[in-house]
Amino acid sequence: MPLNIDFLQILLHAFNFLILAGGLTLLLFKPVEKFLNERREHFENAEREIAEKTAENERLRAQYEQNMRDAKDEIARMRADAEKEMAETSKAHISGAMEKAQSIVMNAEKEAEKRKEQILDSAQSEIGDLVVSATKKLLSDTVTPERNSALYDEFIRLAEETVASERASK
Amino acid sequence: MKEKKKLSKRKIVFLVAWISLMLVVLGLIFAVGFPQGDKSESIKELMRDAVLHEHGRVSFFGLEVNPAVISAYLMTGVLLLCALLIRIFAIPRFKIVPGKFQSMIEKLVEFFSGMASSNSPHKPKFVGAYIFSAGVYVCISTLFELSGLQWVTTRGTSIALPAPLADINGAIAMGFTSFIVILVAGLVTNGIKGAFKVLKDFSLPISMSFRLFGALLSGLLVTELVYYYAALSFVLPVIVGILFTLLHALIQAYVLATLVSIFYGEAVEPPKPKKKKIKNKKLKESQVETV
Repeated sequence: MPLNIDFLQILLHAFNFLILAGGLTLLLFKPVEKFLNERREHFENAEREIAEKTAENERLRAQYEQNMRDAKDEIARMRADAEKEMAETSKAHISGAMEKAQSIVMNAEKEAEKRKEQILDSAQSEIGDLVVSATKKLLSDTVTPERNSALYDEFIRLAEETVASERASK
Repeated sequence: MKEKKKLSKRKIVFLVAWISLMLVVLGLIFAVGFPQGDKSESIKELMRDAVLHEHGRVSFFGLEVNPAVISAYLMTGVLLLCALLIRIFAIPRFKIVPGKFQSMIEKLVEFFSGMASSNSPHKPKFVGAYIFSAGVYVCISTLFELSGLQWVTTRGTSIALPAPLADINGAIAMGFTSFIVILVAGLVTNGIKGAFKVLKDFSLPISMSFRLFGALLSGLLVTELVYYYAALSFVLPVIVGILFTLLHALIQAYVLATLVSIFYGEAVEPPKPKKKKIKNKKLKESQVETV
């Protein structure tokens, strides 16, 4: 054959290559490929787990943020209620205190009026007593029944004028 | 459990196919038989001897063969031994985070399986394993030339063993084996149509064989030429020889793996559905929808 082509040697080379191809496939290619596939699966699973955990974390974060927003809203609402309640309470207290103060003042005024009247009454009786005693003292020397009755009349007239003028001044 | 059983069945099928294929080739070897008569001729030219290997023949189990056959079987032995050692000692210790050696092995496998997946997306598994073996064989066996391992010829002289694929028979074996693999894959996947699709490219095995042979031989010839002139035979041959051998080892492994995976991908590609049928179907569907 030209170029030293020999069928026997071609077949010997082919046989050699078949042995090599089978051996390399079984001993090296398949086990390494199997390992690579297992590792790929391992990383894919890990990635899937990470993605799931990330999604779960994202969900929890969103829930937490929602809870925070709800809590803030609740706090604001409670604060508004408390402020409103406090305003109403203070208003009620103030109005109560004012009423009480007014009643106290009124009572005090009434009491003062009453005291004044009592004082006036007692003063009148005392003045009467003094006048009587002074008169008795005076009369014990120079009293006659005529003069006595004239004095009484004069005294009663003066007393009535005094009381009337005081009342008019008030 | 079922998956394991399926896997073991697949393994058994693979082993049976592999062993039967080897037996067939072995049978053909015996059928072709021993060379009849003495075909050796006296060729004086160095180039012719480098190309044809007619002078320096060696004995291989009683057969008188080119030294490349010895190189090929030695290479296979070395590669299988390395693979066995890696399988026993390295692969069981593979870690999730790889070391340097593990990365190298993984990259090698990933390179060829990735090439198979991109060029033959329909059935990448088998062709991935095939181009891995072919690529490793072409690359490492070409580098084997650098070892300068000596062997005794049938005439009792010493000869440096060449790269297995620098022998035309080795290159033809590789080219035709690849072609047969593609042809069988096409036949198994797409039936007669698939086989015809492959047979249309009848020049494929010849082009594959001679490209491989020519490329690998060119490095050898250039080195021989440089050596021929005494003035150039210092330092330069080392650089030229190593450069050519390394480049050819990598380039030819890549080219062969790419070609095989592309043609394999074309052969196993499922036939495209006819357009008329699709149109009819669409029409029918649209009619049904309107009703």
